[in-house]
Amino acid sequence: MRQIEGVMYQTNAPKGVDPDNIFFVQVDATKCETCGECEEVCPTGVIQSINDAGIRAVVDPAGCVNCGQCLAHCPYGAIYEGVSYVDEIFEKLKDPDTIVVSMPAPAVRYGLGECFGTPTGTYVGGQMHAALRRLGFDYIWDNEFTADVTIMEEGTELIKRVKNHGKPGAYPLPQFTSCCPGWVKFAETFYPDLLPNMSTCKSPIGMLGPLAKTYGAKQTHTKAKKIYTVSIMPCIAKKYEGLRPELADSGFRDIDATINTRELAYMIKTAGIDFNSLPSEQPDPILGESTGAATIFGNSGGVMEAALRLAYEVLSGKKLADPNILAVRTHEGINTADVAVPGFGTVKVAVASGLDNAAKLCDEVRAGKSPYHFIEIMTCPGGCVNGGGQPLDPELRASLFKSTVARINSRFRARNTRA
Amino acid sequence: MIMNRRAFIKACGIMTGYAVLSLNMVKEAAASAMDFVGIRQKSVYDADANPKIYKIRKSQDNPMVKKIYDPKTGYLVDGPCGNLSYHLLHTHYVDRSAKVAALKAKGFKLNF
Ligand code: SF4
Ligand code: SF4
Repeated sequence: MRQIEGVMYQTNAPKGVDPDNIFFVQVDATKCETCGECEEVCPTGVIQSINDAGIRAVVDPAGCVNCGQCLAHCPYGAIYEGVSYVDEIFEKLKDPDTIVVSMPAPAVRYGLGECFGTPTGTYVGGQMHAALRRLGFDYIWDNEFTADVTIMEEGTELIKRVKNHGKPGAYPLPQFTSCCPGWVKFAETFYPDLLPNMSTCKSPIGMLGPLAKTYGAKQTHTKAKKIYTVSIMPCIAKKYEGLRPELADSGFRDIDATINTRELAYMIKTAGIDFNSLPSEQPDPILGESTGAATIFGNSGGVMEAALRLAYEVLSGKKLADPNILAVRTHEGINTADVAVPGFGTVKVAVASGLDNAAKLCDEVRAGKSPYHFIEIMTCPGGCVNGGGQPLDPELRASLFKSTVARINSRFRARNTRA
Repeated sequence: MIMNRRAFIKACGIMTGYAVLSLNMVKEAAASAMDFVGIRQKSVYDADANPKIYKIRKSQDNPMVKKIYDPKTGYLVDGPCGNLSYHLLHTHYVDRSAKVAALKAKGFKLNF
């Protein structure tokens, strides 16, 4: 075990194992103070008392969507991560025969700075790219590029579903987004009958892995088998996604390692890089360039807004003058909007933040009563910026008094959100 | 011992709750805690709208996206949802309900 940015990690870099059997988060029974906070925030209820004293544990990985919200809210640091590729990545970075590719998600650049003392939410994208270069990554590619590709694929898919609606054999409406790995596992586990509604698109990281080892290899004249891809995420559930056996479409494992924002900060500190004095640098071209539509993937409602910026123009044939689609921006709860598209009609959309809200929309779809075309779901309240792999809220563990206040507040919020 | 500690923590929580309530600060404290996420969200939207950070705001206008989907020379020459896209960029899902059904059969309660 090792401590990384206030969280304990098991050094464990699984290969070729069934991720369904891994505890990506688990409670250290010797540290659990039985406060119940984890149970309060867990969307599935799989973290619960295992004895009369009230010690909690994740009772079975089958019911866990690996969101890490329990870990991010435990005031006592009792919850640890079960998977960390940090050591393996350091080895690969040293190996002259391995071409190591960085693939950071949008939300990482809005959290990473906090580990180096910047105010909450400071954008540090340029320094992040510089730090990755200093760490020795051979290609500074970026998951935001494939967020843009996701919009092309998922937007096109949606337009197809709308056009073919009602025809025999057509994929059903509404279409659910498939970017959030906690949500995807949730749907597979608790709403398997709705899987045809799931977009067939891989998530942005699911797309960047295979593109790096095919298109990227070709463009850079690199042997694909030498490429080692590192997914850098604000998320714990992405570690599960990276291990999905079906994600091997490049002819190799598409994603070789997955770490989160906290672990990247740890790597930068361990390498002795002075993050705050780094210049702002650009990612490498081909698989690095991105847009504002890609960066908003980090927020709840962001995928929806980015998709609408495409759908509007494709369906109407007109330019969308103002790309801000404020109606779908979601802080908490469920947001719905009717978007009028000239020459097409109304696109009905919904955005759910948190899986208890997602379940409400799923129940509507199940009952055949869902009026929507497109539904975005994020497991973590607020979206990836609040992911379970992001730097912790510094207030949470500041003192017992403060953490008690934080706990009361979060319960208060949880009730408000649910109501 | 553990029960005592648990009771103590509970009492702590209740007392703090009253202290906070009596100062009529619950709302304010809740707002400031939620801000932690809200501030990060705002920073994301600010970057999207800042031409110094993101010159382009629509995915379809990304020059590298145009390059990869170029109908003549692009790697994904047959466009979004084309053959190579389906092979590399699309996937399928697995019904994972059986294991959770088994868990419930053992007597564990879940939220769904
Ligand atoms: S939040 Fe932490 S201390 Fe509280 S019950 Fe859960 S694991 Fe134990
Ligand atoms: S990771 Fe998420 S689903 Fe799993 S126990 Fe923690 S809160 Fe519950």
